[in-house]
Amino acid sequence: MNNKSKITLGILIALISILVLEVIYISVKKKNSISQKNEFVSLLQLPDLAICTEATYLRHRSMSTTASIFKDDPLLLEYFPATFTYKASSLTKNTPQQITTP
Amino acid sequence: MEYAMNALFRQKYKSIFILIIFTSLIFLLTSVFFISNAIKYELHSTVESLPEITVQKIQAGRQQNINVNVIEKILEIAGVQDAVGRVWGYYYFQNAGVNFSVMGIDEFENQSTQSLENIVQKSDFDKAMENDSMIVGEGVKRILQDNYYKEYFNFIKPNGTLKQVNIQGTFSSNTQLESNDVILLAKQTALEIFGMNEEEVTDIVVKVANEKEISMIASKIKLLLPDTRVITKEDFKVSYKNIFDYKSGVFLALFIVALFTFFIVIYDKSSGLSSEEKREIGILKAIGWTVDDVLKEKFYESFILSFVAYLLGVILSFAFVYIGQAPILREIFVGYSQLKTSFELPFVFDVQTLFLSLFLTVPVYIAATIIPSWKSATIETDEVIR
Repeated sequence: MNNKSKITLGILIALISILVLEVIYISVKKKNSISQKNEFVSLLQLPDLAICTEATYLRHRSMSTTASIFKDDPLLLEYFPATFTYKASSLTKNTPQQITTP
Repeated sequence: MEYAMNALFRQKYKSIFILIIFTSLIFLLTSVFFISNAIKYELHSTVESLPEITVQKIQAGRQQNINVNVIEKILEIAGVQDAVGRVWGYYYFQNAGVNFSVMGIDEFENQSTQSLENIVQKSDFDKAMENDSMIVGEGVKRILQDNYYKEYFNFIKPNGTLKQVNIQGTFSSNTQLESNDVILLAKQTALEIFGMNEEEVTDIVVKVANEKEISMIASKIKLLLPDTRVITKEDFKVSYKNIFDYKSGVFLALFIVALFTFFIVIYDKSSGLSSEEKREIGILKAIGWTVDDVLKEKFYESFILSFVAYLLGVILSFAFVYIGQAPILREIFVGYSQLKTSFELPFVFDVQTLFLSLFLTVPVYIAATIIPSWKSATIETDEVIR
């Protein structure tokens, strides 16, 4: 084999091994604290993560419906950018109002 | 393969440009998918701890407080193990412009010595349970400390008076994604802070022993109390599954832009070869290369370029999301929230995303390179050199 093809193979193998090492490093470094998280959620009994706290219908998204965004004022539609990321909960059954999911 | 490498180095700038574009595209797409899948994984890993049934009162499309008398009616339904009224809500801290989620639970004092030991870091000072006390999330602690509230906090009640509550402890940082903005205190304190009277609760949580009976009991509660919304654990699971809509919003914008960029590069590659490249192929054929050899060389050339771009993109993406906590991309998921959590996402080795990005980019680029080369390789040699 020529020099250049050896270099090429070397680069490919190096990249693949960097990837494998990185994956191993990250999986070892990340502590898996699922039991603590489950304990916390069973204590609090509230759904959804505390990532997006700008609006109540984003913070507890699973307990709100498509109409929760209107509860403050109809003019506040799509006020927060995070409503473009998270989809409104499709929880329209058992809701005492007539809504069709968009 | 040597010839392929030489060809790449001969067109150094063009190769580097295509490499950078592909690496950036793959990096961006895989990062967004990693973040969204990690969030979904985090949600799914805690869904079993959620209550079986939650009952909310809805009036005029808005959630209202529910009367505690309703709890007795619910307890009479067969299959219901327990029904507990909860007091929780949001407290807006004006100085910092943040919303705290405030939750009041019964028997707070008993709780804090037993089951909370695992998830609460005790504070340094020793404020016992003589006065009202609370346990806060790390984000709350940070905000309060920035506003000079180190050991206690003054809630402003609806009647304008202040209520001082001592900070007893902080939730463990391992639970930060769930507990960052949470304040946990005794139910009585929560009622005072929200100005609710003793006969009102925010919603009711129903415990059902047999999982299979949940939907039946939920429909019974709905018949019994027509002005309520009944949410089951199954509804939470469905809601978690549908949290990201890849056909609208930010994701749609991202995919359209990425697809557009990708196809511009592909179109440029596949819209025929330049006369220089055609002559190159003609010369190779003249010195004895067969069509197969030419195609093999073109395959190596495009495979090396696209596969290296793919590997680089994925490596950078892993480092960006899981080691660097996705500095700019996380703003898409965090939004305007003033109360920022550390974006320590759980590690999910998402094989689906990796294979999707591999098979969408590498074979398409190889095909876009080989097909025009095959076309010009099958033309007569002397025509091409002329």
